[in-house]
Amino acid sequence: MAGRDQASYLFLSLLQARTGTSFVSRLGDVPLTAVPEMSSAELGQRVRMTERAARAFEDLRRDFDPGAMIGELERRGISMLTPADAGYPPRLTKVPDPPPALFVDGTLPEALRDELPEAVAVVGSRKASPSGLDAARRLGGALGERGVCVISGLALGIDAAAHEGALEAGGSTVGVLGCGIDVVYPRSNHRLFGKVRESGALVSEYHLGEAPLAWRFPARNRIIAGLCGSVVVVEAAEKSGALITARHALDAGGDVWAVPGPLGLAECRGSNKLLADGAGCIWDVAEFVEAIAPVPAGGIVPLEKPLDVSLPAGLAPGEAAALAGVGFEPTEVDAVAGRSGLKMQELLSALGLLELKGYIHRDGSGAFVRRPAG
Amino acid sequence: MSVCTARSLTLLGIDALPVEVEVDVSAGLPGFSIVGLPDAAVQEARERVKVAISNSGFKFPTKKVIVNLAPAHLRKEGPAFDLPIALAVLAVSGVVPAQRLDGAGVVGELSLDGGLRGVRGALCMAEGARREGLRSLVLPESNAAEAASIGGVKVFGMSSLREAVDFFSGVREVEPAVAEEDGRPEEVRSGDDFADVAGQRFAKRALEVAASGGHNVLMSGPPGSGKTMLARRLPGILPPLTLEESIEVTKVHSAAGQGSGALMRARPFRSPHHTISTSGLAGGGSNPRPGEVSLAHHGVLFLDEFPEFSRATLEVLRQPLEDGHVTISRVAATLSYPARVTLVCSMNPCPCGYSGDKRRTCRCSAGQIERYQGRISGPLLDRIDLFVDVPRLSREELRGGEAAEPSKDIRARVAKARDAQHRRQRVSNSALAGRRLREVCTLRGDSEALFGTAIDRMGLSGRAHDRVLRVARTVADLAGETGISVEHLAEALNYRRSSFFGR
Repeated sequence: MAGRDQASYLFLSLLQARTGTSFVSRLGDVPLTAVPEMSSAELGQRVRMTERAARAFEDLRRDFDPGAMIGELERRGISMLTPADAGYPPRLTKVPDPPPALFVDGTLPEALRDELPEAVAVVGSRKASPSGLDAARRLGGALGERGVCVISGLALGIDAAAHEGALEAGGSTVGVLGCGIDVVYPRSNHRLFGKVRESGALVSEYHLGEAPLAWRFPARNRIIAGLCGSVVVVEAAEKSGALITARHALDAGGDVWAVPGPLGLAECRGSNKLLADGAGCIWDVAEFVEAIAPVPAGGIVPLEKPLDVSLPAGLAPGEAAALAGVGFEPTEVDAVAGRSGLKMQELLSALGLLELKGYIHRDGSGAFVRRPAG
Repeated sequence: MSVCTARSLTLLGIDALPVEVEVDVSAGLPGFSIVGLPDAAVQEARERVKVAISNSGFKFPTKKVIVNLAPAHLRKEGPAFDLPIALAVLAVSGVVPAQRLDGAGVVGELSLDGGLRGVRGALCMAEGARREGLRSLVLPESNAAEAASIGGVKVFGMSSLREAVDFFSGVREVEPAVAEEDGRPEEVRSGDDFADVAGQRFAKRALEVAASGGHNVLMSGPPGSGKTMLARRLPGILPPLTLEESIEVTKVHSAAGQGSGALMRARPFRSPHHTISTSGLAGGGSNPRPGEVSLAHHGVLFLDEFPEFSRATLEVLRQPLEDGHVTISRVAATLSYPARVTLVCSMNPCPCGYSGDKRRTCRCSAGQIERYQGRISGPLLDRIDLFVDVPRLSREELRGGEAAEPSKDIRARVAKARDAQHRRQRVSNSALAGRRLREVCTLRGDSEALFGTAIDRMGLSGRAHDRVLRVARTVADLAGETGISVEHLAEALNYRRSSFFGR
């Protein structure tokens, strides 16, 4: 019987990958196991189906071979979890459209198997600023250190930085994909994919080989939100997918946090708006981690020095002047020159030294940002 | 006598090789044939020569006329043999004294009325004539000044076949042409001075370093940030051309038919459009001509919108950037054009151009940006030492800071730094590699330790390591120091590639 259930769920999963996410939830009182046996006409009487969906259904029914598919998954060491399985993350059953099947490559951390709040999603823009990337990496690291599982979407930018932070701290991390479980997208993250698989799991509701279609990414955000108790948005523009994740988390009764960003940066407007709407404000990494996963005894252990606005001692006069000219938002070399009053070649030397000492960071467009010393 | 010889020259690359034009007139059916590997344009000389001779008031022999262009293995191209053929034919007929043709090089294209048209590569011909020990060079009037600018051979300009005949028969005296007033080494043209560029001091400093060490540069920045304006001013801070360099530059332009009529004193600046073909850039064609990279010889080759150039086109730049010349192989011959250039490339940071800009939002996805930047060929990037971000400046930033420095002050510093390099290693710093690089770049004091930290913290690869070292050497040369100290190295780190291109 379990085998038959599994086959039905697999069928529904494949069907949903073609018709859109809400198909299963619209089935109403149709018994799931009966679906593969029905004809599209029969099913069409019970559920509203578009012509395309009906065609997809017929095609699928004709070629469906659950034995071979499950065998192939087993051969690749990929497990399939359905709502009928004990290992299916319990929190996920509470999202509006729980995926009929979850493919897992790696080991799903314990935290996801019960309802402890010890999984946090860190999400945000793909085109994040260096300070945003820095924040995501530090949050990932701090959570990982505290044994909290970090969940994200393995995209470029914030997602990748959060995964990397967790991995560097030796924590567990889970990447939720918007494409087939064996598809590496974006390609440039392929090394990160491997590392996440090793120290956690890759998770997807899509079967082997499904393409990374644009509509599948907002859909996978409901799984990111559904796997954890809290969602942290680091940098998000006003129409960002990260905001969809935050909305899903709110719908499922989770907490939403956001990292405040500088005024005027388009990439931070969405996340700042979340703060205005009442999201938790992450003003200190240690305080945040403590709120998520309190250490049973003892107070807050400061994880790192807060960013000191005053200039550190022991800098040469030129370096101090240069550092005073670099802002907390990206500042171009010429602007630093204007503020510091240094000659260009002196300034360039000073900037090079400051970067090596770790006081400043150069971003992809050649602008400098201050960062905490160390 | 039935055989007469005139001497002429033909272009191979930018050098002119001697060609003997032998004409034989013998009894038989009237005819006119040209042998000795002539191309189509040379074959057509038969019609032009025949008509021009009769229209100049002479008689074309109604006999069998055979023209041989020697050496026979060399492919001859172009219409420049019209005049020597005509003169040799007239020498056989006795109109021109044959012995007067001796020791004179003759080139020129005839028009049907007997007038003379200019030819390509006059300066190269004059140089060839001098090398071959020819007494004089006779060519169309429009080329005379250009040819005369090289000196060492008497140049006579002619306006028509009639005039040339009169000159050789001694009927008419012609004054040797004189070079146009070439004056002193040309000052920077008034429009292109760094003093006119407000702000962008980082980019200016980078170009100063580039000029000093002969480094290639890539500027990245949004549209309207002034990349082209900056690049245009780079030739003005390079030291003036030496006489030898001037001659080489003028020869290339002359061979391309783009000579200005006088010796070129300003360093060339070429900015080909990104739709340029491979042979347009490197040179070639069935009648080979120098391409843009050779026309920029001893100057600046500016490639705007760098990622838009086709990959195959850019690949041909690898040889000139390495060796300083382009080799073109054809079935007939292999020739080589000089091409020692400073390459300046510019690009937008992303397809829409506004990634990283403060006032306009970028519309590109992270993936698009990655693909755009990935379009540039790695091997070519490896030949670029300086990477500069050129942001759009706000009004506040345009106003702030020191007054803009005029190009001539920068040029003086550049010249000093270049001298130091030549005294030390005879090549520019950009050409340093391997053991030579390590010998010349001695790290002084704390800089050794600092470099170690930089390699670890910035994840510099072996190639990036060399690039930083070369640039640091140039910065030290600009400061007039023999060893590389901490501040030179720290400055050089600012010109490294951003993470965009990988390390």
